[in-house]
Amino acid sequence: MHQGDIARRQFLRLSANAVTGVWLAAAAGELASGTLLSCAPAPHTSEWHTFTDADAAVVDAIAALIIPTDDTPGAREAGVVQFIDRSLATFARDQRALFANGLSDLKKRVGAAHPGVDSFSKLDAAQQSALFHDVERTNSDFFTALLAATAAGMFASPEYGGNRDKLGWKLLGFEDRYFWQQPFGYYDRDEVTHA
Amino acid sequence: MRKTAPDQQRGATFAPGDEVDFVIVGAGAAGGVMARELSQAGFRVVVLEQGPYLRAADFKHDELAMGTLSALTNDWHSQPNTFRTSPDAVAKKKGVLKYGRLVGGGSVHFTANYWRFHEIDFIERGARGPIAGADFADWPITYADLEPYYTKVEWEIGVSGLAGANPFDPPRSRGYPLPPLPIKPLGVLAERAAKKMGWHAFPAPMAILSQPYRGRSACVHCGFCETFGCEMNAKSSTLAAMIPDAEKTGRCEIRPHSYARRVETNSAGRATGVTYFDAEHHEIFQRAKSVVLCANGAETPKLLLMSESSRFPDGLANSSGYVGRNLMFNGGAYAGGVFEHEINGFKGVVDSRVIQDTYELDPALGLAGGGGFDFRHDLSPIAFALGGLPFDAPKWGPGYKQMLREYYTRSAYVFAHATSLPMETNSITLDPALEDAWGLPAIRMTFAEHPNDVKLNEYMQDRAIDLLEAAGAKKSWRFPRDPWFPQVHLLGTCRMGNDPKRSVVDRYNRSHDVPNLIVVDGSSFVTSGRGQPTMTIQALAFRAAEHAARAAKRGDLS
Repeated sequence: MHQGDIARRQFLRLSANAVTGVWLAAAAGELASGTLLSCAPAPHTSEWHTFTDADAAVVDAIAALIIPTDDTPGAREAGVVQFIDRSLATFARDQRALFANGLSDLKKRVGAAHPGVDSFSKLDAAQQSALFHDVERTNSDFFTALLAATAAGMFASPEYGGNRDKLGWKLLGFEDRYFWQQPFGYYDRDEVTHA
Repeated sequence: MRKTAPDQQRGATFAPGDEVDFVIVGAGAAGGVMARELSQAGFRVVVLEQGPYLRAADFKHDELAMGTLSALTNDWHSQPNTFRTSPDAVAKKKGVLKYGRLVGGGSVHFTANYWRFHEIDFIERGARGPIAGADFADWPITYADLEPYYTKVEWEIGVSGLAGANPFDPPRSRGYPLPPLPIKPLGVLAERAAKKMGWHAFPAPMAILSQPYRGRSACVHCGFCETFGCEMNAKSSTLAAMIPDAEKTGRCEIRPHSYARRVETNSAGRATGVTYFDAEHHEIFQRAKSVVLCANGAETPKLLLMSESSRFPDGLANSSGYVGRNLMFNGGAYAGGVFEHEINGFKGVVDSRVIQDTYELDPALGLAGGGGFDFRHDLSPIAFALGGLPFDAPKWGPGYKQMLREYYTRSAYVFAHATSLPMETNSITLDPALEDAWGLPAIRMTFAEHPNDVKLNEYMQDRAIDLLEAAGAKKSWRFPRDPWFPQVHLLGTCRMGNDPKRSVVDRYNRSHDVPNLIVVDGSSFVTSGRGQPTMTIQALAFRAAEHAARAAKRGDLS
């Protein structure tokens, strides 16, 4: 059961998925009505569209677990939490309940595992990591949505508010020049353009 | 060329009450060709297209908005599908097919691989004998019948390639109009692998301009071909290559946001036109002397089945019962590999080298059909992050980040394209319960893979791994071959044939039952070929248009 193209296959498998789809396929209607584009660009702001400050701190911590900051910037520096917040107010509004329920579930897990601690964002890195493994095993929709939303926030065009300073693209080695000629990479360095 | 404002009406305008010569349903790969050929032949043509009329300036390098085709294809919220694996089962709601839903259709967002069928694709049933469980048949035409029209596609649409470079190529009457696009690192790796395996890598035939052609610009290798529209008009979609010519005749109107709901017929059993919904969901009847369906291999049978009447109780043009039957997709399998140095597959067109040494397989393997390979990397950044790494890679954390950093520029994927066998039980029908936003029946797909196709694709995936290793991959991996949807190559559902009892259209794509009804798109296919169907769809369309024009001038088509 197959079709012709790997990217379509991957794109569409993900976009056909109820959880990941919304992060990959900003709906055509949104595009046509302009609501998607009118929400751009987003400077760093303390005002959230959908999150409370506490929610934002948790989502920021999770995004930083998924793509951490090490010798190079990660999801935190790229503004992934700002992207997710704005997306949930616009094209991804269908997932607000999924995020609200997921965050509430996570808060319960924090309380159960660490009595007296009221937020995931206040745990240390090892504690966060352990709990996030837990979410991965037991709340797959929320986990999948977080992965998809973080990837979109890291790698979508910066005009949507994430991928700040093109940090996501720099991580991958993608360049947005949209005009290339040989050599494209290492293996064609000795090739001459036929055309 | 003079620039035209995006929304400016450029073609003719007809009133629905005007009886035009042809009404065409679908402005895609086939419909765009039919519109140009028939209007240039002097006929008055209206083209009804479900989707919008976007222009090159509307296409962006924006993965979030365009990358998943969401702006360019059907939307399952308003047009749901249902799916089942057996005719005995109740189908459940599931998005199982994707098609271009805009002027230009799938040719706007496709990868633009333009393989001709080979001689064997038309005569394989006769050459190899029957296959249990498959409704395997030969075409009523041969490669030689279609060859002049393959050549016509290459020259009229604009295809880049190198004649004679593929030792398995069928005979051709003329070379390509444009030289091949430049080889990419992926193509160099394909050549390296093929050489090591004693195989042959040749420049990919692509419907993308390597040099300026007929007023259109050459490709600048931006890398945003597949799933995107070309903002340069260098991709030879019908939007770029055919429809402007049709509009220039002053005899063709492209009518977007027009969703066909019924082909109307009179008491003599002739088609009289098409009823469609306009943008406000109002029903409008466009009269025409002849009707042409180019709506794709799912929407075309759906429209015929919806057009039943007391005279045609099982659907229009369906006395054979073959409307909707024998759905095929093209098989496929793929594998990934990571290399030591930068490949940067995100630059340039998807494919620069193709390998077809497996097009016809050793009979000792016991596999029907065959296939071909290309080396590619067509995952834009978000999709790569979510689906491009080996399946055992970490999904988050420092290890994940490290792999993103290492793999994006250094990965190659080998994609195998292969035969899909026709089976009577694989079909497009109308769902008895679910409706779309217009109140029309949802498309119901029934599909299960033929055992041969499972084995063939496993074989092809093994060879894909061989190719990656021969190319020098540090590590290679298989992507799961489990059933996967949605499908995009929609083939076989209005089979062409000489026998009206076992086919829907004749050798010139005219309905056996309704003489002034022409059906030409992927639904006409008798076999799936080995992949990349658009070239053959368009060759059939050029041929059908030539025949229809001749018949209409004789007064034999109304």
